Amino acid sequence: MYIIARNIFRFVVVVLFQVLVMDNVMISGYMIPYVYLLFILLMPFETPRWVVLLSGFMLGLGIDLFEHTLGMHTFATVLVAFIRPYILGMLAPRDGYEPDTFPRIHYYGFTWFLKYTLLIVFVHHFALFFLEVFQLQNFLSTLLRVILSSVLSASTIVLSQYFVFRK
Amino acid sequence: MRTLLKFLQKYSNFLLFLLLETFAIWFLVQGSNYQRSRIVGLNRQISGYLFSKVDGARAYLSLREANLELVEENVKLRNRIDRMELLMDSAIVRSEFRDPYHFQYVPCRVVHNSVYKQYNYMTLDKGRKQGVFKDMGVISENGLVGIVLEASNNFATVIPVINRDFRLSVKLRSNNYAGILQWEGESPLFAVLNEIPFHVDLVLHDTIVTSGFSTIFPEGIDVGTIDSFSLDKGNFYEIRVRLSTDFQKLFNVNVIRNFKQDEQLNLEQQTR
Repeated sequence: MYIIARNIFRFVVVVLFQVLVMDNVMISGYMIPYVYLLFILLMPFETPRWVVLLSGFMLGLGIDLFEHTLGMHTFATVLVAFIRPYILGMLAPRDGYEPDTFPRIHYYGFTWFLKYTLLIVFVHHFALFFLEVFQLQNFLSTLLRVILSSVLSASTIVLSQYFVFRK
Repeated sequence: MRTLLKFLQKYSNFLLFLLLETFAIWFLVQGSNYQRSRIVGLNRQISGYLFSKVDGARAYLSLREANLELVEENVKLRNRIDRMELLMDSAIVRSEFRDPYHFQYVPCRVVHNSVYKQYNYMTLDKGRKQGVFKDMGVISENGLVGIVLEASNNFATVIPVINRDFRLSVKLRSNNYAGILQWEGESPLFAVLNEIPFHVDLVLHDTIVTSGFSTIFPEGIDVGTIDSFSLDKGNFYEIRVRLSTDFQKLFNVNVIRNFKQDEQLNLEQQTR
């Protein structure tokens, strides 16, 4: 029960933080940090898959409503929510994830968390930016935006592990 | 039947995934009538309120810059008054002197603004109650900004030049040739002007202004200057326009109310 309440609270905070603070951080046209993925990243390992999918849907929709991009963030976030178990499986330590741990730096270390974050963020940004442009004309320039933004989003998310979600 | 149930159970997560993505794509397709959907109407009230709260903090941090801008505008206006007074003194009232009851300006603050997306939008802190309605023009002290897309009671959303759906008829100030201004999504500093025929002589840094062909903007509002041009597409120039408005630091704008819009549109309707 406690964990559900905490996740609902985190959901609201993450959405508000994204649209009210992060959306004002624009380093250049190539770099926009989308840190709201944090919510999907930090969900406990044993969360049922349908819960992750539905949360991804709500999260994307929440961001879309503020950003005037109905559908784009929803699509990308649901996609990421769907592939999360596969990525977790790919990165699993030899004897699996231990009970009572969470997907965080604190439990699984910097390298593991960085790989996990980068993979999820890259897939999300790839879907998002190509949906936004909706053409393959400037493929390389869009890809550059995907890569640079992924690096920025991932570093912001990793940093948050040291300042906000320390334990 | 049992195999079907088993199948459904086995792939339930995948099916849920497909269902949710279908919703997302459906939203995307509906996106073209984004402003019409109900859920968004409700959201505009909430997000408008939130954005205006955050803008309070942002405005405080950029007081100095806003101040400088106002000082500059003051100087410009004072210069203009001087020129006008000179004109009036010598009693030369030119025929194109504008009717004072034709256009009115509503000063607004930008409470939310996106610059680095393909479809950028802007939110203003005035709405229908303050006389801001759909399809009105928006300008800054430097020039063209955009067009009001939708207005609620106390807020309005604007589609700025730097949105890929934006189109406006503009012209070269020096020789009055008109073309279509649009934006290709690359940089918030530049837009593209098409449909100027190849035989026109272009000069770099020439000024581009609104044409006044629509009822939205009066004629002669600054749009930008010619940054470069090419003739790659056959008979028409492709002109890169350096926009005179800096969308990255936009705080105060004016919405233009055209009191004769209905009259003109009615007349045009009847003529057709």
